[in-house]
Amino acid sequence: MTEAQFVALSPLILVGLAALVVMLAASFKRSNGLALGLTLAGFAASLVSLAWAAKVAPVQVTPLILIDRLALFYLGLVFLTGAAVALLGHGYFEKRAGYRDEFYMLLLMATLGAGVLVATTHFAALFIGLELLTISLYALVGYTRTEPRSLEAGLKYLVLATVSTSFLLFGVALLYAELGTMEFGKMVDLIRQGGHRETLVNGAIALVGIGIGFKLALVPLHMWTPDVYEGAPAPVTAFVATVSKGAMTAVLLRLYLLVGGAIPDSVMTLLSVIAILSMFVGNLLALLQDNVKRILAYSSIAHLGYLLVAFIAGGNFAPEAVTYYLIAYMATSLGTFGMVSVISGREREAEELRDYAGLFWRRPFEAGVFAAMLMSLAGIPLTAGFIGKFYLLAAGVDMGAWVLLGSVVINSALGLFYYLRIVASMYAAETSAKPGAAAREVALLGSATLAALALCLIWLGVFPAGLITLIRSAVLGV
Amino acid sequence: MTSVPMDHGLLLAGLLFAVGLAGVLVRRNILYVLMSLEIMMNSAALAFVVAGARWSQPDGQIVFIFIVTVAAAEVAVGLALVYQMFKRMKTLDADAASLMRG
Amino acid sequence: MILVWLILIPLVGGVVAGFVGSRNVSACRWISLVALALDAALAIGMISQHLGGFQYESSKVWFEEFRASWIPVLGISVHLGLDGLSSLMVLLTLFLGIIGVGASWSEIQERAGFFHFNFLWIIAGVLGVFLALDLFLFFFFWEIMLVPMYFLIGIWGHENRQYAAVKFFIFTQASGLLMLLSILALVFVHRAGTGTLTFDYSELLGTQMLPAVATWIMLGFFIAFTVKLPAFPFHPWLPDAHTEAPTAGSIVLAGILLKTGAYGLLRFTVPLFPEAARSFAPVAMTLGVIGIIYAALMAFSQSDLKRLVAYTSVSHMGFVLLGIYSFNEFALQGVVMQMICHGLSAGAQFMLVGALYERIHTRDMGKMGGLWTTAPAFGVAGMFFAMASLGLPGLGNFIAEFLILVGSFQASVPATTIAALGLVGATVYSLWFMRGAFFGPNERGWTIVDLNARELVLIAAFVIGLVWLGVYPQPVLNAVAPVVQSLEKMTQPVTAALLRS
Repeated sequence: MTEAQFVALSPLILVGLAALVVMLAASFKRSNGLALGLTLAGFAASLVSLAWAAKVAPVQVTPLILIDRLALFYLGLVFLTGAAVALLGHGYFEKRAGYRDEFYMLLLMATLGAGVLVATTHFAALFIGLELLTISLYALVGYTRTEPRSLEAGLKYLVLATVSTSFLLFGVALLYAELGTMEFGKMVDLIRQGGHRETLVNGAIALVGIGIGFKLALVPLHMWTPDVYEGAPAPVTAFVATVSKGAMTAVLLRLYLLVGGAIPDSVMTLLSVIAILSMFVGNLLALLQDNVKRILAYSSIAHLGYLLVAFIAGGNFAPEAVTYYLIAYMATSLGTFGMVSVISGREREAEELRDYAGLFWRRPFEAGVFAAMLMSLAGIPLTAGFIGKFYLLAAGVDMGAWVLLGSVVINSALGLFYYLRIVASMYAAETSAKPGAAAREVALLGSATLAALALCLIWLGVFPAGLITLIRSAVLGV
Repeated sequence: MTSVPMDHGLLLAGLLFAVGLAGVLVRRNILYVLMSLEIMMNSAALAFVVAGARWSQPDGQIVFIFIVTVAAAEVAVGLALVYQMFKRMKTLDADAASLMRG
Repeated sequence: MILVWLILIPLVGGVVAGFVGSRNVSACRWISLVALALDAALAIGMISQHLGGFQYESSKVWFEEFRASWIPVLGISVHLGLDGLSSLMVLLTLFLGIIGVGASWSEIQERAGFFHFNFLWIIAGVLGVFLALDLFLFFFFWEIMLVPMYFLIGIWGHENRQYAAVKFFIFTQASGLLMLLSILALVFVHRAGTGTLTFDYSELLGTQMLPAVATWIMLGFFIAFTVKLPAFPFHPWLPDAHTEAPTAGSIVLAGILLKTGAYGLLRFTVPLFPEAARSFAPVAMTLGVIGIIYAALMAFSQSDLKRLVAYTSVSHMGFVLLGIYSFNEFALQGVVMQMICHGLSAGAQFMLVGALYERIHTRDMGKMGGLWTTAPAFGVAGMFFAMASLGLPGLGNFIAEFLILVGSFQASVPATTIAALGLVGATVYSLWFMRGAFFGPNERGWTIVDLNARELVLIAAFVIGLVWLGVYPQPVLNAVAPVVQSLEKMTQPVTAALLRS
């Protein structure tokens, strides 16, 4: 391993190291605060090392991993999100009994897995990253083991995710059998040259698609989302909604950039149908829910549908649009689920709609931030969500994808119904909410994280130019 | 020694995959579901070995080792969850343990 | 820079009022009032320099302009501009804003801080809409004014406020997205022609495109603006929103928010797509005429006073649509007059109804009657604005509707004839309003407190405004003359053909 390769890999190494340190520290002193401190130090160190790695990028580290600007950008995104989840988790688990340091270790492992995913150029590494992420997530989803719903969610996730991983693996195996390589770039070239058994290759790609679609929770592979989101502890839900989907989107983006938009029409049609279904199913089912976590789960299905629109539309704007939308979506999801964890009480989570009644007047700061997050999900100006939606529509209009755009418009209106339902219940008069959902103590770290997120969202909504430039340099550098 | 044609190997892997998938879908006992998952993972692993043999590359076998390792980790977490579930709900039936709907 | 201050003052004032409001309610009212008064003083000071006399130099299109880079990578800038049309709209906005704060002085007791925050942000958003010359910025403000309005209706509204607020929000949001699609389509068509990506209004003017493309893009703008206006098929949100909103909300909705729709048609739809607009004129005029008659009939059948006034708004806005698509100087001048006069008369009517509701806690005409005897000043004020609404000569609304009809007569005789029937309808519903509320027997035995000093001052301001516009409308007509003339020129067949070649 040359020095440049070592430097390039340092962000990933540091996060892995942090996981080990947290685990070792637990054997000396079990403390929520200490574990959080070590975790944050680990994330901070890797974020700093990104700048270091940027100087040598792009570097191919073994055939498995490519550290280029795209990878570095997404690594930064994933690590920042991981750190935010750690901060949110601190207050959340502080309120609950039992040890908490495993949470941080698992979180670091999962983030490491996501980090491998965004930097991979080889299916073997993709598999390792994916499993590192997913296996940590099983444990995280089922983390509050005294809560039956959490266990159930963990098991459900385990079964369904393993099935989807098996599909992915089997698809990769078939591709490998036909093409003789597992590197993304070579595979794309070989498929383009032709001379293979078309049906086998297409079938294999479909199997891989199932694996990716499952992670992104696109219809019809979305079934797990509401249950897992509901059952998992709120900070973990935030992680599932952001890091896990974000990393998979990065993989998709990398493949998309390699393919260079030369995707057959039949696949495009299929993807369009999936996107439209995801939007409609997500939004329509969200309308029927009374549980805030489930509403947000269905809304995230719809949002991934929107994201897919940018991919399908293609054109010059697509990579930027996807990335900007993803960042807006990640920041917002982190904020909304973070809010659920911050205002949740000791006995149970604030997940029913009526737990939010009168929040505006009880806790104006949190309610204001939550409302801002929901407005961002709805794509209202002054928030990053608006710029994201603007980008999405721009990509669509640029390529004249009118059917997709029509469904985006209809679905935006549908989405408003349930976002406004939450907002409306926050300023409604306080009714007889079930006890136990309201947090008595203020989670200082969590609230500060949320405030920072809200500021970030508004900043990105009003002054997006800086981020756009950054994204351009990242995506066009590939 | 005549080698087995690749497609036969893939076919076998595909059959195993189908058996595993059917098991996941049909079985209600969570332990059997975990076993079926193992079969699915391992069928993919077998396919990798077969594919690696075609190109006489070690890659297929390396991925095989990855898969076996990962599957072990998965089962470890899975059994821990099953144990906790059994402790609290006194059942291994996936339907009986299902609380969330909608 | 002064244009930026115009928008910033209410924004900042709103934040300050919001913070102060939780501790001291009356302070936050004063802060809002001072912020708006300061803004108004600034606006008047600036505008009077340009509109001082009968004449002003017509070499410049914009009196004031402000330009700053915002998102250069996407060709988006903060571009604000003020001309005669937007001057008038800015003045109207600030006038009604001040009235709105005054009208809610005693009505809003709960959460006054948040109320004033929202109210001032609506004003800021509307000012932004009237000043923006970058299409992205315009859309930005267009959407920004919705959110506080949603809260205003949803929190301080009447019984059915939730339903009304959501309906309002979704109608305007969905149509807004259509407009965003159109904006993007226009920008990309422009880029395809010139190679530059820009959202700037002045650069997008005169973009070359195929007629079919132009028609589709124009429709996006047209729908967004006619939802806001509102014109006939897109009006269902309005009666609910107006009825359920608190008084200040209704004043701002009827007085200003509806005008943003008309403003959008005048500023964007017609100038950006003159040819498409011209070929679309018959449809638009028909919608306008249907709106006039339909809403007049609906108004007549209401028993809820606020709903009645709301439907009269739809009817009056039908005249605006009719006038805009007549494309001649008379009609267009009438349109601007109508925008201002309706803002005043409808605002005043909502204020009166609101004041009445505060006293008797009902808006049902069936439960009123005979109020004239117990509150004569109320009755006189009601009578005055009913007369204004039906178009009594001597008041601004008469000039406005007369000019529109004169203009539209040249464009379409049948449309004008039917629209004129709307005036008859206006007479009927205005008198219905008076009879139901103020005349007849006082069966319920109401004894109510007459208008107090604060309300009298506000009413007097409306009265003076309407009489002034009715007797001496020349300043308004002068102010918009250049805008109107260029619109007229733009839409004449000859010029349109020239533009194409």
